[in-house]
Amino acid sequence: MLYNKFLKMHIKTSMQYRFNTLFIGITQVLVNIGEVLGVWILFSQFTSVKGYGFYECLLMMGIVFTVFSFAECFARGYDEFHMLIKSGEFDRMLIRPVNIHYQILGSKIELTKLARMALGIALVIIALVNLNIDWSFLKILVLISSFICGITTITGLFIISATISIFTIEQFEFVNIFTNGAKETAYYPINIYAKWMTKIFTYVIPVACFNYLPLSYLLEIGNVPMWLCAISPLIGIVFIVPCIIIFNLCLKKYKSTGT
Amino acid sequence: MNKSYLGIFKMEFKGELQYRNKAISGIFTQFFWGLLQIYLYVAFLNDTPVNGFSISQMATYIWLGQAFFAMRFITMPKRTGDNIVNGNVSYNFVRPLDLYNNWFCENLGQKIAATLLRFPLIIVIALFLPGNLKMYAPVNITALLLTILGIILGICLSVAISMFAVYLTFKTLSQKGSATIVATISGLLGGIVIPLPLMPQSLQNVINYLPFRFISDLPFRIYIGNIGITEGLIFLGIGIAWLIVLIIIGKLLIKSALKNTVIQGG
Repeated sequence: MLYNKFLKMHIKTSMQYRFNTLFIGITQVLVNIGEVLGVWILFSQFTSVKGYGFYECLLMMGIVFTVFSFAECFARGYDEFHMLIKSGEFDRMLIRPVNIHYQILGSKIELTKLARMALGIALVIIALVNLNIDWSFLKILVLISSFICGITTITGLFIISATISIFTIEQFEFVNIFTNGAKETAYYPINIYAKWMTKIFTYVIPVACFNYLPLSYLLEIGNVPMWLCAISPLIGIVFIVPCIIIFNLCLKKYKSTGT
Repeated sequence: MNKSYLGIFKMEFKGELQYRNKAISGIFTQFFWGLLQIYLYVAFLNDTPVNGFSISQMATYIWLGQAFFAMRFITMPKRTGDNIVNGNVSYNFVRPLDLYNNWFCENLGQKIAATLLRFPLIIVIALFLPGNLKMYAPVNITALLLTILGIILGICLSVAISMFAVYLTFKTLSQKGSATIVATISGLLGGIVIPLPLMPQSLQNVINYLPFRFISDLPFRIYIGNIGITEGLIFLGIGIAWLIVLIIIGKLLIKSALKNTVIQGG
């Protein structure tokens, strides 16, 4: 398979600079540990916010770190799409007889993000051990689907960012508000923010569908109907479909930079 | 000699002023971030109030933090990291300038320009926001003057601390990783991750005397009246002492790094 070859190539390049790869991976984990420490300190002062304690928030952070780093690792090509356009590499891709999305995904695989993913999974496990959850088969399915929903949502945001850079060539930094905003809002129960923010991060960008809503189902708290919480990740996954459609439509308007 | 450092400062200052579009998108981001944080901490403070840190003081602290983000966030001076990694730094060895002072002035110019481009607009908008989101005026004129002094000291401290990232780049040859380490530590202990007044008192008793909180936490707290005038003056003195100590240590470290630099030719 072609993707395996891409993957091997990226592993080989990052192994060329072994120390650098490892060092960057560790420092990125350090940033997240700093954030976890911040939340821990905050909860040692306040104990709870809207019924959510430290471990509930830790579970949300764990999910966010995991899905974010997964998307950053494997869908980085969309995030850095402007680089492909600028360098002229994208023009070359267009004349190859391989699906364009396949090539973009293969253009960049950032293995340093795996360290952050490991931290995310570790946090999820720590949180789950410390939370009293009445496990059922359905709950496990909901948890797994919320991970998938998170990955598709973040990838969808990267695709939108790539779509905009078809026209602007430069990376449009405004999009960062949504990608990073999605990340930051997801650390805490989404209903603590203003109504309009909650709406944006539920209906427009389905952030709530991969942490707050499925978590309400797992912990059996909150006032959203349980069946809706349970299927929310499945609804959230749909978000990526219009993203891909819009990208494909805008691609028809693509003009090469001439590089 | 001093003239050339002033020249470096001016050049970097003017250079940074060119990036107006970047500043505008930065303002948008900072603004959104400010709203996000205020809503978050309002939720926390509504559940459990904290002594001497009301919701209006918190909102003001957050807006100041967003307005002066460029100055309180530790970054590597532009190009310095590249130059160390790609070896161009060796050209600097033949110039009759002290490299530490050179980089210090470069970074100072960049930081001051980046801050001046961003802070007025954020503060003006924040002053006219409704309800809990509003930023308030300083408690009195003396506090405002001390705040300005504190911010000037803070910019210098921020630059002095970023020189440790430069040193680490020499050791690791990874500018991104080095900057991240220093920025993370300084962010957590300097009140960027969560405002220091929201931390438990026992922890604050230690953090209050570490250099990182003097970058921005001290002037902001003087502004909102969380720290009184006399206490503020004492703390400013400690901040200046830290600045001197950090510059001396930084100079020694950079000197030792330069001594051990091996130029591979090419």
